[in-house]
Amino acid sequence: MSQVDPITVEVIGSALTSIVEEMGEALVRASYSTNIKERRDCSTALFDWRGNTLCQAEHIPMHLGSFIGIIPHIKKRFAEADIHPGDVFIGNDAYEGGATHLPDIVLAEPIFFEDRMVGWAINTAHHSDFADRGHAHIYQEGIRLPPVKLYKQGVLQKDLQDVFLLNCQVPHERLSDLRAQMSANRLGVERMQALCAKYGTARVLQAGDALQDYAERKMRAGIAAIPDGTYRFTDYFDDSQMPVEMKLSIAITVSGDEMHLDFDAPDQVAAGLNVIFTALLATCYYAVKSVVDPTILPNAGLSRPLTVTARHGSLLNCKHPGAVDGRIAACQRVADMVQGALAQALPDRVQAAGNGCCTGAIFTGERADGSLWVYLETIGGGGGARPKADGLSGIHVHMTNTSNLPVEALELEYPLTLLRYELVDGSAGAGTYRGGMGLRRVYRAEGPCKLSLHGSRLLSQPWGLSGGLPAAGSTADFGDERTSFVGSIPLMSGQVVEIVTPGGGGFGPPSGRSPEAVARDIAEGRISAEFAARTYGQAATSVAVAHPDLAPAS
Amino acid sequence: MVWRIGVDSGGTFTDVCLFNDETGRLDIWKVPSTPDDPSRGIADGVSEGLSTVGAQPAEVRFLGHGTTVATNALIELRGVKTGLVVTDGFRDLLEIGRQKRPSLYDMNAEKPETLVTRDLRFEVAERVRSDGSIELPLNEAEVRKAIRAMQRAEVKAIAICCLYGFMNTAHEKRILEIVREEALDLFVSASHEVAPEFREYERMSTTVVNAYLGPVMRRYIQRLKARLSDLGIAIPPQLTQSNGGVIGFDAAATLPVRTVLSGPSTGVVAAQAIGRMAEFDNVITFDVGGTSSDVALLRNGACGLTSEASVHGYPIKAPMLDIHTVGAGGGSIAFVDGGGLLKVGPRSAGADPGPVCYGRGNTEPTVTDANIVLQTLNPVEILGGRMKVRRDLAVEAVARLADRLGLSVMETAQGIISVVTANMAKAIRVISVQRGHDPRDYALMAFGGAGPLHAARLARELDMSHVIVPVTPGTLCALGLLLTDLRADFAASRLLPLDQAALPVLHEGFVELEKQAVIWFDSESLREDRRLIGRTVDMRYAGQNYELSVPVPAGPITAETLEALEAGFEEAHRQRFGFIAEGEIVQVVTLRVEATGIVAKAQFNSHPDAGPSAEGAIVARREVYMPEAGGMVECPVYARDRLRSGNRFAGPAIIEQMDATTVVLPGMDAVVDPYLNVILKV
Repeated sequence: MSQVDPITVEVIGSALTSIVEEMGEALVRASYSTNIKERRDCSTALFDWRGNTLCQAEHIPMHLGSFIGIIPHIKKRFAEADIHPGDVFIGNDAYEGGATHLPDIVLAEPIFFEDRMVGWAINTAHHSDFADRGHAHIYQEGIRLPPVKLYKQGVLQKDLQDVFLLNCQVPHERLSDLRAQMSANRLGVERMQALCAKYGTARVLQAGDALQDYAERKMRAGIAAIPDGTYRFTDYFDDSQMPVEMKLSIAITVSGDEMHLDFDAPDQVAAGLNVIFTALLATCYYAVKSVVDPTILPNAGLSRPLTVTARHGSLLNCKHPGAVDGRIAACQRVADMVQGALAQALPDRVQAAGNGCCTGAIFTGERADGSLWVYLETIGGGGGARPKADGLSGIHVHMTNTSNLPVEALELEYPLTLLRYELVDGSAGAGTYRGGMGLRRVYRAEGPCKLSLHGSRLLSQPWGLSGGLPAAGSTADFGDERTSFVGSIPLMSGQVVEIVTPGGGGFGPPSGRSPEAVARDIAEGRISAEFAARTYGQAATSVAVAHPDLAPAS
Repeated sequence: MVWRIGVDSGGTFTDVCLFNDETGRLDIWKVPSTPDDPSRGIADGVSEGLSTVGAQPAEVRFLGHGTTVATNALIELRGVKTGLVVTDGFRDLLEIGRQKRPSLYDMNAEKPETLVTRDLRFEVAERVRSDGSIELPLNEAEVRKAIRAMQRAEVKAIAICCLYGFMNTAHEKRILEIVREEALDLFVSASHEVAPEFREYERMSTTVVNAYLGPVMRRYIQRLKARLSDLGIAIPPQLTQSNGGVIGFDAAATLPVRTVLSGPSTGVVAAQAIGRMAEFDNVITFDVGGTSSDVALLRNGACGLTSEASVHGYPIKAPMLDIHTVGAGGGSIAFVDGGGLLKVGPRSAGADPGPVCYGRGNTEPTVTDANIVLQTLNPVEILGGRMKVRRDLAVEAVARLADRLGLSVMETAQGIISVVTANMAKAIRVISVQRGHDPRDYALMAFGGAGPLHAARLARELDMSHVIVPVTPGTLCALGLLLTDLRADFAASRLLPLDQAALPVLHEGFVELEKQAVIWFDSESLREDRRLIGRTVDMRYAGQNYELSVPVPAGPITAETLEALEAGFEEAHRQRFGFIAEGEIVQVVTLRVEATGIVAKAQFNSHPDAGPSAEGAIVARREVYMPEAGGMVECPVYARDRLRSGNRFAGPAIIEQMDATTVVLPGMDAVVDPYLNVILKV
C-alpha cells in the first residue's frame, strides 16, 4: 500500500494526464507528414523509472505495443550508469527495438530530477515511409533500429541521423517529424520535472505506483464480476497480401479476479502480417479493458491480472525474421475475437464484429524533380452493432483511430483525385440493432504511381451476435480484371481505383428491429425495400409504405 | 439622461445591467428566464429595470444582448429540418466526419446526431480542382431537381457546400441563385459565405449548423425586436458573438453560427476591461458556474481568437474567443469510484434538485456541499440570505464518502475541493502551458457564482501571484455587454508560399476583405473615426497542417511586411513548439480582417482612498476549515458592499456578497483597489 492519500493520487494523476495530452497536441501540430498532422497516427506516454506505463494519451491503442517494448530493450543494451539526462533513444525494430512494425519510430527520453531518474517521456509516430517493399521477412521492410542514442546528453548524433535518413524515401518529412517528436518529449520531461519540484519526487513516484495499483484493482474488480469458466471463439483471417483463410482461435479462462487469454494460430507467414508478442499484448489489454471497464486508467496496472499465451513462431507470436508491417490486420481480428468469446459471459457488454480491418492504401510515386512521394491512408468501416444500439458507420474500430485526410488537403499535396467518399448502402449486418455501414473511397491517379493495398475480410464477413446477421465484406476494383492485390500495383495516369470496406455485424435477430428503424433505413437509402422485406419481414415493409413522405426523393 | 443596457439571458436567470452614462450609476438585477420564449423574460427584465431606476425607454442609447438561444437549440437539437447540396460523391461526408470514433474505449459512446438526414443530402455534378479551376461545370438541372425534392420534404433551410467552395465560389453562388429563384422563403447558407476556409468537412459542418439554426434565430430576433420596440426602445439592439464583439440583429440573423459561443464570451470581454482598470496586462479568467468552468487567457489585455472549435461535437469554423470549458462547477457531484479514488464531476446536480444542502432530495454531495461543510460558504443561508441551506444534510452526504475513503468528514470535504481544483488547474494548463504561456506571469480573475470561492487555492496550485475579484462577479457577463465594441470578422483562404510572389495576392486579398468590412461598417452606420481594421495572416511551415496567426503591420503590403510576417511567425512557432525550422518555406493559409466599430462604453469612476482599515466591513465571524491553518480557524466575514477603496486585510478571511463568496487563505493579503475590485496577493 502506498503512503500517499487518495486525494493526492487523484491530483497527481490529473497532472499526468494533462502532460501526455499536451505532448500529443505538440506532436500533431508541429509535424509535417499528413499521416501525423491530419490523421494523428501517433501516441504519447509517460513511463515510470522502472519502465512501466504510467499514463498513455488516448490516440492509438496499437501504439501501446511499442511503448511496452522499448524500455526493456534499452535496459538490455545500456547499463543504468550509461543513461544520462538529455539522452534520446530512437528505435523501431520489432525484435530488438521494441516497436511493433518498422514505420512506428519510437523516441524515448529519460527524465531526471535532482540526480535521479524519475521516469521516461516516450512517443511513437507512424512515419509514412518504407513503402513499396517486399515482406518475405523483416529485412525487406525497412531499416531496423535497435534502441540507440539519437542524442547523447543533448547532443544530436548526426551520423546516425544521416544513416537513418538515407534509408528513407521521403527524408525531408522524416526529419521534420522527428523534430516534432523531439519537441513533444522535451515538453514531457520539463513538465514531469516541474511536477517533482512541486510535490517532491518521492510523492510523485508513490502516486505513480498508487495509480497503477488503482488500475489493477479496477481491472480485478471487473474480472471478478465475470463468471468463472473458459470461453472459446474461432474466426478466420485473410488479407489482400495473403488471400487465404487462416483459422484463429481464442480461449479465455476467467478464474476469480484473473484472466488468461490463449491463442491458437497457424505458423507465421512469409508476408507482412505477423504479430509480434508486444502487439498481441497491447491488443488484449485494449480489448479486455473496453469490455470489462472502459474507464480504467491506461497504465501498466491494468495488465497485472491478465496473462496471454500464443505459440512462439505462430502468426500471433512471430519470431525473427518474420515480417510484421501489416500486423494490425490480425490484431483487429483478435480484438473482435475477445468480444466474441466474452459474449458468452457478458452478452450485454460486447459488440458484434466490426469491420475487422485497418484497410490501408499506400500510394508511391515520383515527383517531377525526381524525389519520391509516399501517401498512406487507412480507411474505416462499420462498427459492430451494440446490445442496445446500432453500430457506428464509417469509423475506425479497435486498435486504430486515425482521422481521414480532407479531400482538399489530399489533392493539394499528392497527384491523386478523390471521386467519391461515401457510406456503402446495404453493407451493414442486419439485426435488432444493425451494424455500422462500410465506406467506399474512389481515387483517380493523376500520373503513373503505385498502390499497395491492405485489406481484410475479402474472403469472410464480419459476424453478428445473438442472432444478428453478418455484414458485407471488403472489395477492391482497379478498373481491370485484377482479383489479386499482392504487392505494389502500378497505376496508369487516369486509372480509377475503388476500395470498399466492410460494415459491422448485427446484434439480435432482425425480427426484433423496430419497424420505424427499418422504415428510416429505407427512406435514407441505407437498405433497399426489397432487402428489408426479405430480411426484416412483412411488418416492417408495410410501415415503410405507410410513410410515403419518407420515401427517397429521387 | 443616457442609459446603456446589457442583458445576459441564461437558462435559469436573465441578468440585466443598467448603466447611467452621466452619473456612473450601475444597477444590476436578476429576473427568472422564460425558456419557452426568452424574449419575454428579457422584455420584462428591461421594463422592470427602467421603471426601477426611473428611466424613459427613449433614453436608452445602447442595448447589448447575450443569448444562449443558438447554443441551446444546437444542444437540444431544436433546429429546423435542413437540406444539403453537395458535390457529387460526398453527401455522406457530413455523417462520416473525420472518421474517428467518439470514444477510444467506450463502445457505447455515440457520434453527435447528423443534422441533415441522409435523404435530404443531395449530390449535384460539379467539380472544382485544388487550383480553383473548373473540371466539371455545374449541372443546374440537378440543382433544381434537388431543390424541388427539398421543398416537397418541407425543409426550412438549405446548406450548400462544394469542394473548394472557399477558393472558387462560382458554383456555390450559382446554386444560391437557383435556390433563391426556386424557393425564395427558405433560409439558405453557402459555405463560402459562412466559413470560406480550407478543409471541407469542417466548412460543411459550420454551414449546416448555420442553416439548421438560422430560422430559429431569425424567429427569436424578430420577436425580441418587436417586444423591445413595443417598450418604446428606439435604438437597434446588438447581439454578442463568439468573438467577443457585438453585431447588429440583422447580421446575427444571417450568421447564427457565430453566436453559438456568445454566452461565456461577454464575461471575457468584461474581464478585459476590468484587467485594464486594475492595471493587470496578463490575466487568466476563471468563470465558474453550476456545471462547468470557463477559462481564457488574456495576453497584453486581450484574449486570442481561435477559428476552430467543436461545440457539442459539431466542428465550427468561426472566429471565437479562445475559451476552454471543463465540466467542473459548484454543482459537480463527488463520488468514490470502483478503484477507491475520489472523483468529482462531470455529472452535476444542476439547479434542480441542486446540491444536497438545498434539501430538495439530492443525496450525492457536490462541490457546494463540501464548501458548506467546510463553512467557506455560509452554513446557514446563501444568496445574501435569500436561501436557507441544510449543513446537516451536506455533512451526512460527505460522511458517506468519508467512510469509504477512511478519512474524516472534514478531510473528505477538503479532498473534494482539492480534486475539483486539480480539474480546474488542468483546464488552465490547456490554455496556458499548452500554448507556451507560463501561468505564473498571469493574474487570475475569478467570477461566476463560484469562481471567487476556489480562486485562492487554484492560484496557489499554479503559483500565480494575484487574484482579482471584480465588484459583481456573479453577473459579469451582463456587465461585459456594456464594455464591448461592434465587431465583425472576414477571412479568405489563399494557399501560397510567403515570398515576393505573395505580395500582390496579399495586397488584393486584403483589399477585398477590407471592402467587405467597409460594407459592414456602412450597414452599422459607423462614423469614419469609429472604424478600426486589424489584419492577420494564418501561416505554417509548408507541410504542416495547423496554422499560427500573425498580425500584419499597418500600412501598405511591401517587402518589409513579408519580413515582419516571417519574424512574427518564427516567434509564434518558437513560443508554441519550442523550435523553428530554419530554411523551411513558410506558407500563407488564411487572410483575416477583424473590423471593430468603436462605440461609447460604460466608464467606471475611481473611488477615493478610504484608508486601510476594513474593520467597518466585518459583519460576522465564523469557524472555517482551512488545512493551511491546521483545521478549524475563526475567520472574520467581510461584507463586500462595505469594503472601500484602499481597505486592506490579511487572510484567513471570508468576503460575502449577494452573488458570490470569496475565500482569502492564511498568508494572503486582500486589498481593495480604486474601482472596488478585491485583489488578493497570493
